[in-house]
Amino acid sequence: MKSSAVRRTTTRAVLAAAVAAALALTGCARTEDDAAGDPSASASGDTGQVVATPGAGSGETCTVERFGGTRTDLATATVGFSQSEKEANPFRIAETASIRAEARSRGVELLTANAQSQFSKQISDVQDLIAKGADLLVIAPLNSDGWGPVLRAAAARKIPIVTVDRKINATPCEDYVSFIGSDFIEQGRRAADRMIEATGGKGEVAILLGAAGNNVTTERTKGFKDRIEAEAPGLRVVFEQTGEFVREKGQQVTEQLIQSNPDITGIYAENDEMGLGAVNALKGAGRKPGAVKIVTVDGTRNAVQGIVDGWISGVIESNPRFGPIAFDTLDAFTKGEEVAQDIVIQDSAYTDVNAKSGLGRAY
Amino acid sequence: MTEPAAPRRVPWDRARTPAFLQGYGVYAGVAVLLLANVLLTPHFLSAENFRTQAVQVAPVLVVALGMALAIGAEGVDLSVGSVMALSTSLLSLYLGYGPWIALIAAVVGGAAVGLANGSLIAFVGVQPIVATLALMVAGRGLALVLLPQLRDVRDPGMAALGSQDLLGVPHPVLIAAVLALAVGFTVRRTTFGRQLLAIGDSRPAARLAGLPVRRVLIVVYICSGVLAAIAGVLATARLQASDPTSLGTLMELSAITAVVVGGTPLSGGRIRIGGTVAGAVLIQLLTATLIKHDLPPSWTQIAQAVVIVLAVHAARERGKR
Repeated sequence: MKSSAVRRTTTRAVLAAAVAAALALTGCARTEDDAAGDPSASASGDTGQVVATPGAGSGETCTVERFGGTRTDLATATVGFSQSEKEANPFRIAETASIRAEARSRGVELLTANAQSQFSKQISDVQDLIAKGADLLVIAPLNSDGWGPVLRAAAARKIPIVTVDRKINATPCEDYVSFIGSDFIEQGRRAADRMIEATGGKGEVAILLGAAGNNVTTERTKGFKDRIEAEAPGLRVVFEQTGEFVREKGQQVTEQLIQSNPDITGIYAENDEMGLGAVNALKGAGRKPGAVKIVTVDGTRNAVQGIVDGWISGVIESNPRFGPIAFDTLDAFTKGEEVAQDIVIQDSAYTDVNAKSGLGRAY
Repeated sequence: MTEPAAPRRVPWDRARTPAFLQGYGVYAGVAVLLLANVLLTPHFLSAENFRTQAVQVAPVLVVALGMALAIGAEGVDLSVGSVMALSTSLLSLYLGYGPWIALIAAVVGGAAVGLANGSLIAFVGVQPIVATLALMVAGRGLALVLLPQLRDVRDPGMAALGSQDLLGVPHPVLIAAVLALAVGFTVRRTTFGRQLLAIGDSRPAARLAGLPVRRVLIVVYICSGVLAAIAGVLATARLQASDPTSLGTLMELSAITAVVVGGTPLSGGRIRIGGTVAGAVLIQLLTATLIKHDLPPSWTQIAQAVVIVLAVHAARERGKR
């Protein structure tokens, strides 16, 4: 009795101390940006737009009749958005911001949830969104599999679902309406084109792979290697190691690489963060900008700045601004129009030609 | 009758070989890896290469030093990776005042987590693994509240810390070496070190002997927190960015590996600082070798597992004696 009381007080004291610490720590903080009068952080306009190309040629379509729902008006509907990962990287930040901005500009009520990279949480998030009265769902899935129970619950209520950036393994126009996303294999192919252009099609290239067991990693690798093999027999992939999509790992692996392979011609990083790590490593080793050709995928502002500074040869964009196209799709669908089941978005690219002007577009 | 020494020699060998392996196997492992790399890896014998390996191992080593203290006191500190994240967040938040203030903020943050760990263990009586697990979760959470996403560090002082050197020795390596010597001296030559080992050997006996058990335990975890915070600063300086989402993830496991492989028993009462340094270097060389030869990353994990099992096996044999 007494000891439990003591323990409760201790727990409370620890909690209070933690809250006090958080407040005290942020209260008098002063970052470099504060000190320098914040030169860059405010310039985050949501300027880019997602341009759709209807699924290559024979795209299957879906209508509200075939899905089994009823026509509604999007303007009076409530849309639920389930985000997969915490908004800690530029891609997720831009994605959520784009959905929010579009909902606001259309005057649609939006409910949001974030699964913090836990799949079980995402399942319960979606169930919560349905319970709170979402009429339509936009989901950025963490995994492709395991959606059975949620989809059954949504199908029972005829709630149309649009998935963005990753596909789920289910029947389109039955379990969900459409998938909107980039073609990761195509991103790999375009990165290869850029690498061939930058290196002149000769030499040895290294690949900084993303996290293992992730479809983004396998598809960006496949597209790159297939295109290199087909188009540039003089270019050889001599090194493939994972940087786990993280800058620090990208830096460490590149440091090892340039030590044992000092004559490496190019580095293909499967996301911008690892590419920036590679830039750090090359700087640390005293290399000149452009001595090793770096091509990355994503299109974050830091990487595009890297092109302007001469360190990066090309950035293939993976556009996170799904808001307009997702709401266009839902709007068309609820009005009874046909929508494509697979909507592949057009990603642009940054090179030394357009990097400076494109800096405002980067996220 | 003719060979009286023979029956005695057999148990002598059995008893000594594992003890030797536990104590010095890690040095042999480092030597073997170095030799193999000199023979097989192109461009291995260059100053640049050794510099790279040393710079990469420095943060792990600094964390492992604190971990060695915790393990020596028959505990463990799982919160070190989160302390690195907290340290990088605080550093970024306070860098506007200049690098020294930011450094102090980061170190104070690490000390605060250590104080919380130590208090839970010494006063509330929570098991070290549970107490530090709680702070591991809380620490990363706090780090992300303070700094939700990666932010670049542009301070010239931090850049110098990460990339410049003194008399040919990079700053992070120099700092790690000084800290290793300081911790080694503390363990071997100070009253505090002796008390720590006595507590690690048997806490009840230490209490009966009148040692300040609670105070020593709290200081041990504060040291571990401060060392992890310094490692966070070093890693941030190298990366030129504060990334609390990924910095220090799984660092606690790397640190425990380095300590255990270095011959410090998990049962406490004994700390091998030289072995810990060699353990960290061994893991670094292993990873470097596999990356340089472009072997699949899964192999690195398997190789690490094999090394850990070998080290623990050696420790078990000794325990049975």
